Amino acid sequence: MTRTGVYVCHCGLNIAGVVDVEKVADYAKTLPDVVVAKHYTYMCSEPGQHMIQKDIKAKKLDRIVIATCSPRMHEETFRKAVAEAGLNPYLTEIVNLREQVSWAHTHEPEKATEKAKALVRMGVARAQLLEPLEKRRVSVEKSVLVVGGGIAGIQTSLDLANAGFPVYLVEKAPSIGGRMAQLDKTFPTLDCSACILTPKMVDAAKHPNITMITNAEVTDVKGFVGNYEVSILKKPRYVDEKRCVGCELCTQVCPVKVSDTFNENLTEKRAISIYSAHAVPKIAMINPDCCLRLKYDKGVCGKCQDACEAKAINFEQQPETIQVKVGSVVLAVGSGVFNASEMAELGYGRFKNVISNIEFERISDASGPTGGKILSPKDGKTPKTIAFIQCVGSRDKRFHEYCCRVGCMVTLKQAILAREKIRENVRIYVCYIDMRAFGKGYDEFYRRARDMDIDFVAGLPSEIHSSPDGSLYFDVYDKGTNKLLQIRADLVVLGTGLVPNNDLAEISALFHASRGADGFLLEAHPKLKPLESPMAGVFLAGACQGPKDIPDTVAQASGAAAKALDLLSHGEIELEPLKAIVDEDLCSGCKICASICPFVAIEMKTDIVDGEEKTMAEVIEAMCQGCGLCSSACPTGAIRIQQYSNKQVLTEVEAALAVTCAEGGK
Amino acid sequence: MSLTDLMSMAKPNIEARDKILAKLNGKELVNCFQCIKCTSGCTALKLLELKPHEIIKLVNLGFVDELPSSDIIWTCVTCLKCVQRCPQKASPYHVIIALRNLAVEKEAKVPEGYLKAVSQILETGQVEAYQKIVTRKMETVDRECLKLPKISPPKESFQAVFMKAMEEKTT
Repeated sequence: MTRTGVYVCHCGLNIAGVVDVEKVADYAKTLPDVVVAKHYTYMCSEPGQHMIQKDIKAKKLDRIVIATCSPRMHEETFRKAVAEAGLNPYLTEIVNLREQVSWAHTHEPEKATEKAKALVRMGVARAQLLEPLEKRRVSVEKSVLVVGGGIAGIQTSLDLANAGFPVYLVEKAPSIGGRMAQLDKTFPTLDCSACILTPKMVDAAKHPNITMITNAEVTDVKGFVGNYEVSILKKPRYVDEKRCVGCELCTQVCPVKVSDTFNENLTEKRAISIYSAHAVPKIAMINPDCCLRLKYDKGVCGKCQDACEAKAINFEQQPETIQVKVGSVVLAVGSGVFNASEMAELGYGRFKNVISNIEFERISDASGPTGGKILSPKDGKTPKTIAFIQCVGSRDKRFHEYCCRVGCMVTLKQAILAREKIRENVRIYVCYIDMRAFGKGYDEFYRRARDMDIDFVAGLPSEIHSSPDGSLYFDVYDKGTNKLLQIRADLVVLGTGLVPNNDLAEISALFHASRGADGFLLEAHPKLKPLESPMAGVFLAGACQGPKDIPDTVAQASGAAAKALDLLSHGEIELEPLKAIVDEDLCSGCKICASICPFVAIEMKTDIVDGEEKTMAEVIEAMCQGCGLCSSACPTGAIRIQQYSNKQVLTEVEAALAVTCAEGGK
Repeated sequence: MSLTDLMSMAKPNIEARDKILAKLNGKELVNCFQCIKCTSGCTALKLLELKPHEIIKLVNLGFVDELPSSDIIWTCVTCLKCVQRCPQKASPYHVIIALRNLAVEKEAKVPEGYLKAVSQILETGQVEAYQKIVTRKMETVDRECLKLPKISPPKESFQAVFMKAMEEKTT
């Protein structure tokens, strides 16, 4: 016999607007073992919690059933309240009357009330079998892995390093800086991207607490929150990092030309090159797919080796695997840019003077292919008319349904830059659906663009054509004037949106960080946990979680750093006590559980039992997340999850069926 | 109804709108966000009194009473460009076809050309009657002098199938 208290929450009108809470509470009083049943407007509020605590003490309750919103919302709140009253917090059972009843059956209040009663009955039945549990404590490795060296990764690393924690900053490219390093100016202040980014890149490289590992990828992740073991593959540069001084003598003698990905393939560089003008570290690298020596024959070329005064060239360099132990991971792998050739009607890829907005950034950048002059890649001339076309690949069910969140502002910035650079000698048109200038200072920036004789056409063209003289033209219907306009332009810039990185699927699998329907990494809660991935100890920063501009990225990066600090600062962390338990007598050693465990928390051990060798499953407590997959897969019923044993679940099912049978008998 | 078109004092007809929506077989008309791509690329735009994006908006709002009996719905050349390019899969083409079907049901006036096309198909099996053409040498030629095979009229079974299909479509 237990002494159970049932508490039905109104959640304002969220529950009480549909479910007759009073009836549910009255019904609960009739259930066996229920000593007290009450209802209240907001059970999670202080008076609500206080009511429960008072009853626990006064009525000597030892089981608490709370019929309220989803346990994801307030289970923790109520457990804390119950613990404060001196009862083991795991003797609390949450019944979900909001998401599963009132919100799901808004138009059927009577049936909803019946369902609520049934759920409460099930909750009470289950509560009887709850066991008191204690939280587990594990120690935490006081260092962080930051994956991705763009502005998000750099900001996170600097914040963590400044707080005194060692950081491993892993970057795929030969230099940190990421997407922001490719940009010319930044909206809405038009400060130069390199001017504000490069000092941070240098700070990160010089920081004593930051170990920067460039030209590298994470290949394996083992362990669990607080204790991750990470393998990092550092690919060879074929240049000795300690010797190279970045003088670029080698690039002057290298005979092999390759297209320059940093310049979006608008220019060529050499097979040995430094990643960009502002590269950090400023160390040359040989592209092994193009270098004559590395690709073909050990005897040939070697001109760079002869030219290098620092003797830094090393054709024998091998890949290196670096093992690090970290307590937490911040994923800051950024995003890609939509490939506009997928949208064939716009002619990107067919017409050389149709370019993407990231290509425009390179053209406009002082360190880019044209030295900062706005010139058409088709004929190298200054365009007399530039047209910008918005929402390319975004807000489009054929490609990406989401709004890219930066396209409008990028276009406004680029239109302003074009006006400033070519002055009155260019006509500028912007074709758009909605102009989304929502950030701080953004709408003022939009106004600034309108002041600069930039024409806005409220409508998108259906397709772009090329005239025999190479100029482009398209028809666009303007909502403002109700006229079908034909725009002839010598340069069309497509507002291509941000898309998930190509390798995001691999990264998501590596860190068990799931992805959303849009392909970006998923946050643990869209509003209340935007920085956390659903995997404990793995945090998200920047555009890998969804399209973001620089201010939002930096804010999220500092937020993710704070989250990692919170985890690391205590030295040890509490883990949920719910975990799998193996009944060694029943375990047949079939290994099914070990093979399906997504957290690699089950190992097979061999013991001598009654003089015979027996292989059995063993749960690594710290890694088990209590998901229950093993328990449902076990053919002998040897593994159970605490609080979700077969008996507990079946009791709940029986309670669910009890009245259905009774009603059937009526 | 709280919505009024002050230019004509017209009120929306939600019932008629829902009838049109029901004919769309789940095509997501309501998702149109007026990007105007359909109108920008419309092959028949200059002949249309109402622009494709306007037709969608009118149907969405419920101003549909005039639509099935108007000539506008018959001017669309069904080039399907708007279907290809619509970013919201809400293209006006499907609405126009629904309106045409509704017009036939209501026995509204169907333009002569369409009726001609139907009888043409029934009689010859061709959408267009074959014609004599003039060559560069200004000679008038027909299939016979070009030694092209004769076109035989459709079989009776074709006519039966065609008529049956038409009846099924309209009911």
